[in-house]
Amino acid sequence: MNDVITLLKPRVWSFRSRIFSKREKAKVLKHVFLGGIGALFWGGIFIISLRVLRYFKGIEEIGDLIAFKLLSMMLIIIFSLLIFSSILTTLSKLYLSKDLPLVHSLPVSGYKIFIARWIESTIDSSWMVMLYTFPVFISYGIVYQSGLFYYINMALTLFPLAMIASGISALLIMLAVMILPASRIRGLFIFLGLSLFIVLYIAVRVLRPERLVDPEAFVTVLVYLEALKAPALPYLPSTWAFDSMRAMLSDSFADVLFHNGLAWSGAITVIFALILMADHIYFRGLSRVQTAQGRLFKLRILDHLPFGSYLSGPVRAFAVKEVRTFFRDQTQWSQIFLIGALVLIYVYNFRVLPLEKSPIETVYLQNLLSFLNMGLVSFVLIAVTARFAYPGVSIEKEAFWLVRSTPIKLKTYLKVKFFIYFFPLLILSEILIIGTNILLKVTPFMMTLSVVTLFFMVPGVVSMGVGLGAAYPDFKSENPGQAVTGFGGLVFMMLSAVFIAAVIILEAGPVYNLFMADIHGRALSLLEWVWIIGSFTVAFILSMLAVIIPMKFGERRLSSHLI
Amino acid sequence: MIELQHLSKNYSKTVAVNDLTLNIQAGEVFGFIGPNGAGKTTTIKMMGGIIEPSSGVILICGVNMKTEPERAKSKIGFIPDQPYLYEKLTGMEFLNFTADLYEMNNEAFIQKAQDKLDMFSLSDWSNELIEAYSHGMKQRLIMAAALLHDPEVIIVDEPMVGLDPAAIKLVKELFRSLASEGVTIFMSTHSLNVAEDVCDRIGIINKGSLIVTGTIEDLRQHVDVMDAGLEQVFMRLTQENERA
Repeated sequence: MNDVITLLKPRVWSFRSRIFSKREKAKVLKHVFLGGIGALFWGGIFIISLRVLRYFKGIEEIGDLIAFKLLSMMLIIIFSLLIFSSILTTLSKLYLSKDLPLVHSLPVSGYKIFIARWIESTIDSSWMVMLYTFPVFISYGIVYQSGLFYYINMALTLFPLAMIASGISALLIMLAVMILPASRIRGLFIFLGLSLFIVLYIAVRVLRPERLVDPEAFVTVLVYLEALKAPALPYLPSTWAFDSMRAMLSDSFADVLFHNGLAWSGAITVIFALILMADHIYFRGLSRVQTAQGRLFKLRILDHLPFGSYLSGPVRAFAVKEVRTFFRDQTQWSQIFLIGALVLIYVYNFRVLPLEKSPIETVYLQNLLSFLNMGLVSFVLIAVTARFAYPGVSIEKEAFWLVRSTPIKLKTYLKVKFFIYFFPLLILSEILIIGTNILLKVTPFMMTLSVVTLFFMVPGVVSMGVGLGAAYPDFKSENPGQAVTGFGGLVFMMLSAVFIAAVIILEAGPVYNLFMADIHGRALSLLEWVWIIGSFTVAFILSMLAVIIPMKFGERRLSSHLI
Repeated sequence: MIELQHLSKNYSKTVAVNDLTLNIQAGEVFGFIGPNGAGKTTTIKMMGGIIEPSSGVILICGVNMKTEPERAKSKIGFIPDQPYLYEKLTGMEFLNFTADLYEMNNEAFIQKAQDKLDMFSLSDWSNELIEAYSHGMKQRLIMAAALLHDPEVIIVDEPMVGLDPAAIKLVKELFRSLASEGVTIFMSTHSLNVAEDVCDRIGIINKGSLIVTGTIEDLRQHVDVMDAGLEQVFMRLTQENERA
């Protein structure tokens, strides 16, 4: 056990040094800001959970049934999230970490290294899931007026759940490494995990769970009650946690003890199996990982990209490199797949909008929604830009020396980055806006306005993504996608949100005027025309400035960046 | 060919390179040696256009790195100490990428790329992703890429790190051969044997300042020990500088 504790010490010491280091103390403002956002999010979950549960509690006869059904569903989702999160963390900790050669050269048994790594991985993968689910469970305690024991039991129930999830993940990873190359497993699991998530999400969305609180939507009350009473699968660890919590909320202490016993014995069994298996195959798997691996898939299309002679040599070099490296990174595929699914869900939500039931005139509502839709599509655009274009420079990682040592201007290099992301993001935004506008059956004027506005906003948002990503790069990060969580990422998100809001506000007044004049069949006054033209001109100038300034800022900051 | 005039680099309060002036002729192999943290890599990065100097001028074949960086860089073959590359490209694709950057003719590229891959024993790996290469293979690929456009100047940081004995021998011979064809080579190294075997002239840097430059004979005379090896000369010079 001493060896395991010793192996965990570097992690504890680094954490302690980070907290007390002068450099971190200098970033107080940043920590307060990020902590504030986290606290707001936590508070938001807490308030929503409390309101929803109070509402359910108020429904006679079936209120408790719905609340418990929700608790059961929550625990299944948490358990799935814990497994998914553990798979990614465990894979890195056990097989891909850079310090593994050093640790394995030490005079310590392989299984002890495994245990230390597994403990680290369990904590890393579960703390955040737990932190943000606490407000939901605390809400149950408050609404059902439970005592202190409920909260102690909450910890006692969730702890084995996290251990079992992390244990199952480690078992799966150890087996997978024996079959597949470890460097590919991460991409594969992300891909499979996201696929599963998307399928589940689409299934849930199509089933329209909002009908759960609307008994009229069911054929009979009996069918509805049966749906609520259907028990969860008894062999699922999340069911043991659910049964224990429900028993605690219903004051059946004997049941609490039984279900906790089940959860803890399950956790101990998983850990026992894990150590036994680790002793046999962990080191063998790790040895396999050390050898060079061939490609899992070969995309032949990437060998001959159609970038013709119309591009100059350096521009073509970077454009081809960008496309090849992007599509050969399997983690990017899963993200693209996820975006595709989100687009479908987004468009589907518009299809099922019950506009005809609205008390407001449909033509007016359709056009109003179309206008709001521009804002929503722009926010989707910000999210996608944050994920892909913002880390576009950081993704060079430590190979950025190549950019600096070759005869290409930083300005040209950033322009290549800009266009690589601009075209796909423009297509995505226009598909979203045109698709949803068709479903809303908006007027040709609103359709043209939306398409043109997006056409001018996309370059601004992409330029902010690429420019600010270049101004605040992170070449050292293992995962450049996380660069957006830093200071520059926050600045990007805030500035682009302000930019979009400004353009939409500038257009809102004139469009309302034009629309109302058309409905009432009146002509516009000269002053109104000046206002309309002035607003659209300012929106256009703003869009141009949003393209020029961030790119120049990024170029200037990047040129003085130390490698 | 390479001219450094009063070159300095400061990192806030730390002076990494202090008023460095050097002149290296065409066809010369110049060895830049010094203890860890002496300022070798910083100097090399400034010469390669990777970082900007705080003050001073860098001329590559008469072209000013500050005012015409692209033209100056097009004359250089740069080889860093750490082989960080685009892991998701194949070796051949990386060479193609380099050729495009230096605007090489496509027909000339294919033949040259094959020659360089053969020279550095990478032909069998040319269609594999770089992520599957060993450290030494990546280092050899960087060298192949740096030589692809026939640079007039080669700037190389620790050329032998990660190379096997056969590759070290190849690189030593290659550098001598390139120098005889008029290519100027500026090389930083910790390996005094390599410096002794390959370099025409050596510069010793310590705490950011150039202590001495000259042939090995000049350095021996400087410390007044005529039968000493470069290692002994280096130790004497750096210790004297530490005491000063």
